[in-house]
This record gives sequence, C-alpha cells and structure tokens, in this order.
Amino acid sequence: MKRPLNPRTREQLLGSLYGWPMGGWFTLFFTVPLAIIILYSFMKRGLYGGVEFTLTLNAYREMVNPSFAMVLVRTIWISVTATVLCLLIALPCAYAMARSKHQTLLLFLIIIPFWTNSLIRIYAWIFILSTEGLINSILIKIGLIDEGLKLIYNNGAVILVLVYMYLPFAILPLFTTIDKFDFSLLDAARDLGADKFTSLRKVMLPNIKSGVSTAFIFTFIPIFGAYTVPLLVGGKDSTMIGNIIVDQVSKTRNWPLASAFSMILTLVSLIGVFWMLYTGKREEQMKKDGPKRTPQALESTVKAHHRAASKGAR
Amino acid sequence: MKKHGSLVLGVLLVLVLILTGSGCSKSKRSDGKLHLYNWTYYTPDEIVAKFKEETGIEIVIDHFASNEEMFAKIMAGGNHGYDIIFPSSDYTSIMITKGLLEEIDHSKIPNLSYIDPMVAEKAEYDPTFTYSVPYFMGSSGIAVNTARVPEDYERSWNIFADERMAGRMSLLDDMREVMGAALKHLGYSGNTKDPAELDEAMELIITTWKPNIVKFDSESFGKAFSRNEFFVVHSYPENVFAELSEESWSTIDFFIPEEGGMMYIDNMVIPKGARNIEAAHQFINFIHEPENYAIFLDDFSFPPTTNTGAKPFMENESFFFTSEDLVNSDNISDLGADLDLYNTRWQKIRYEH
Repeated sequence: MKRPLNPRTREQLLGSLYGWPMGGWFTLFFTVPLAIIILYSFMKRGLYGGVEFTLTLNAYREMVNPSFAMVLVRTIWISVTATVLCLLIALPCAYAMARSKHQTLLLFLIIIPFWTNSLIRIYAWIFILSTEGLINSILIKIGLIDEGLKLIYNNGAVILVLVYMYLPFAILPLFTTIDKFDFSLLDAARDLGADKFTSLRKVMLPNIKSGVSTAFIFTFIPIFGAYTVPLLVGGKDSTMIGNIIVDQVSKTRNWPLASAFSMILTLVSLIGVFWMLYTGKREEQMKKDGPKRTPQALESTVKAHHRAASKGAR
Repeated sequence: MKKHGSLVLGVLLVLVLILTGSGCSKSKRSDGKLHLYNWTYYTPDEIVAKFKEETGIEIVIDHFASNEEMFAKIMAGGNHGYDIIFPSSDYTSIMITKGLLEEIDHSKIPNLSYIDPMVAEKAEYDPTFTYSVPYFMGSSGIAVNTARVPEDYERSWNIFADERMAGRMSLLDDMREVMGAALKHLGYSGNTKDPAELDEAMELIITTWKPNIVKFDSESFGKAFSRNEFFVVHSYPENVFAELSEESWSTIDFFIPEEGGMMYIDNMVIPKGARNIEAAHQFINFIHEPENYAIFLDDFSFPPTTNTGAKPFMENESFFFTSEDLVNSDNISDLGADLDLYNTRWQKIRYEH
C-alpha cells in the first residue's frame, strides 16, 4: 500500500539523505580523528612511541615549561604580526579589485599561485632571499652594498613568506564583502564633507566587518599552525608550535605531548571561529535593533540629511 | 520516521566502508616476491634488477623516512608482509628486545665473512649478528667549503666555536647527533647517562656553538651548502656531495673530528611473520657479494666501511672518510627511558636560548 508522503516530510527525508555523505565523511575523517587526538593527550606516553592506555595529565604538565612558553609566545607574535600585515595589504587590494573593470582577470591572478606546490614557492623564496641570492646579488651589482644582507633564516623572513603564502586567503573574503558594498555611500560621505580616508574608515569599514573577521580567521588559523615555513626559512630561534608537534611525534616519540599541543591549536581555532560567529550574529542584531549602521539605514539618513540641506539652501 | 531513515543510511555507509577496507588488506600467502621495507633512496635499482636476473625473484620495496615512522607502522599493524626491514642500530636493538625478529641462519650467508671486524666491534646491540646483518656503517661529520673559510680552521668539533665563520655554519637538527658531538668533544661517551656530563655538553652548545650557527638544519643543509649560504655544515656526507658536481668536490673538506663523532650502522633484519625467509637470506648474501656491494657503494658514493672485499670492484676512489676515521666514534645506541635526560636538555638548547 502506497501512500504519498506529504511534500514537507518528503523534503525533510531527502534533505537528510543528501546530508549523509557529508555528515558521514566529517564524522569519519574529522570528528573521530579529533576524538583520538583528545584521548591521546590524556594518555601515558609509550617508551617507543604510541601511548599506554592509562589516564594521566602528564602531557599537559610537561607543557608548562619555560622552553615551550617561549615557543608559544613566539608563535603568537609571529602569527599576529603576519595576519595584521596580510589584512593591511589585502584591504587595498580587495578594494581595488572590487572597483576594477577586470575583476575576473584579477581573481584569476590571485588564484594562480595555488596551482603551484607550496614547497616549491618556499624554495623560490629561499633563492630570492639567500645571502648570495637574487636580491643580494642585484644590490651588490648596483653597488648599494658590498656584502650580502642577512635576509633569510630569521623571523623576519618567516613573517614575509607567511604573508606571501596566506595573502590570497585574506583578499578573497574581503573582496566578496567589498564587492557587495554600495560605493555611492562613499560619494555621499564625501559630499557631506568627509575626506577620502575618513569616508573609507567611517562608512566602508563598519560595513565590511564580517569580511575582515573572516579574513582574519582564514589567515590567522593556518599561520598559527605553520610548520614548513619556519622550518625552511626560519633560523635557530624560529621554532613555532607546529614544529614542536612534528618533533614530538617523529623525534622524541612523545605522542601525548604532541596531541596536547594539537589541542592548543584546535582551541585557538575554535575561539577564532566562535568570534567570527559572534561578530556575524552581532551584525545581524545591529541590523534589527539599531538601524543606524546598515547601508540602508545609512542611505536613508544621508537622504534625509540631503533633503534637509537642500531645504535649507532654498 | 525521519530519524530512522538517516540512521539506516548511516549504518549502511559504515558497513560499506568496513567491507571495502577489509577487502584491501594483503592476503597472508606468500606471492613468491621479496618484500623490502627500506629508507627512501637506499636500494639501488641496479641491485634490484641484478637480483631478479640471478635468482628470478622479484623485489617489491616500501619506503620509510625515519626509524620512528617504520617502527610506528610495525607496532601499529604488525609486520605488513615484509621480508627484510632496514632499521638503524638503536631500533635494531629495540626490535631485538621486543622479540620482533627472526634469527639469521648464518649457514645461508657465507658472505658474512666479508663484514669488517670493526663493524662487529661497534655493534654492541648484536655483536654476533644473531638477528641482524649490517647493511652500511656510516657517520655524520663536518663539511667545510675550503674556498670560503680562513685556511687555519680547526679540524675538530671546536670549529663551531670559531667566530670568523659565525652566521655561516649549521648543526644538524638532531638531538643525539649534536649532543653526541659535544659529549665526544668533551671526552665523554656519546651515549652517556651521566647528568653532569650532559649538563656540560648542553652548556658548551648553548654558550659557544649556538651563537655562531645560523640554524639547526636536517632538511636542506646540503642545498644551502651547495649555494654558498653555509660554509661549515654538520652533516651526512652523502647528502652534501649529492648536491654538488664532482668537479667541485676538491674544494670540500669533509672530516670526522679526531675526538670521534656519532656513527650509525644500518642493518638488515628479518621480522617475525616474514613469508619469504629463504629469499630474504638469499638477498642478504647477495648484497654482501663484494661485486654487488661495490655497486651499492658506488651508487651513493659511499666509502667501503662495511664490506672488506668490495673495494677492488669500486669505480669511485675518492672517499669522504674511511673506517679508520670511525675508531673513536660511538654508535648511537638505544637509551630507553634515559632518553629523557637528553630530551629535557635538548628542549633548552633548541627553544629557550
């Protein structure tokens, strides 16, 4: 006996059907591995790698140690600096792209570097920055310096290459939000006496906040877990948390400690994601409560102002 | 209704995954081939081809990049059908104590007679070769670009204290190698468990060596050396020389300091559960046939440290070092739980100062 389902139930059923592959995939290859890492971080280390199944907080105790504290502090300052630089460069780039007539071409140019393996791009930087590399040999040739500058194997080089690697991740979300922004608002602001910079800061920036926080998360999280860049272009004091995790797994055979450090990375990412969700929510909330800041509200305020101004002139 | 539907689907998905997963595992029966588990770039193709030609046995090779990786795999899933594994000495001794290895039948390997007596002397973990046969005995050392450093540099570990080369030197990013070097320089054993000696070695590295080096580098020191970025590198010679053309070898001085350094012996072992033990013995005997061993050495420009008969068959005649250079060196041995004495100090060296 067949009874046709009502369309709503049918849709719900289909929805869960379509949702399963992705749900299953994430459970199997994301949630389960993450759970294993969490579990391992509370286990006793095996002498020759692996873990013994005894619950202990040893790994977290070992983490409280001046050596690791220095690495944590370094990781934070390198990541924050690199992320802020990424944003500062990405903002004008994204703005220019949004206003350009050749958006497709520019987008294409941003994406192209992704087609090259990141290791190859890092090695390219090594050849550019080397003491006898591209930059230094040019500077020597034109007589500006006599001896190669120390451009590589320090934290400056790490930040430079990180900014290069993650810049597209900042530009793309900023571009999508700026592209949706109504640029006539800027003209309006200029009409009302704001100079160019003030109009960008006071009118555009508040309207693209969600893009800025997305860009921040997209760059900060991968940079915080960076491993190859500090390993290859960093110096003797460029170790970051990512390097410690690898060392603990492959050299020191301390899997619980490696898991505990991974937990820190995961926690930082979680905080970031929650912050992103929170700013998104707050923006929505603002749209509901205070009509002052949304583009529409701003537009109507501006219009009202114009009307008042033209009345006054008359 | 809705919940049930998705539950059933989920169970189905898991079942499918389990079934396909188990379908992939290797069958337990021997396929007549010889399965090796060796370091990346450590088995010359010519040897593989010649072995097949002479015995008709095909060789299948899996690769690993570190002892830890190999060991984790064996511990996690048992022997994956490998007939010969190539661990370094510390892991050879771990595998012996854990009872993971088959005994070697010496009657099937007459070529054992070619093994240099010095190897047996250094192989404290298995001096009678009951469970392991040496594959290659090598060592780290120091490579110097003589064209770029002052002529009167010291040929000892103390070279890293020389401020004239500051900013142009690198040490390996390897706890046992670097701490071992400092211990040997101070006249101690490279495998010491004495905290006072280890403290002294740590002080030496932190106060006199670390200020002069650019970085601790185990990944790209060969490339950096070849493009004149580093002039003095603590290194494995094969990695350095592989990056350079043979004409430029004359300006490279590679040496193992007289006070001794840290050396290694890579071994061939037959794991329990191997399916082709007969062929494994055949291969071990085959590789130590002097003519074949010479092919292996030439392929990597290795010096003849391990097999006494190979030298006359070799094409390469300029060696980075000889077995005499290793007389004072210590073989890196497994320290068990005492490894933490090194770990804590290495953390301070690497991360704190």
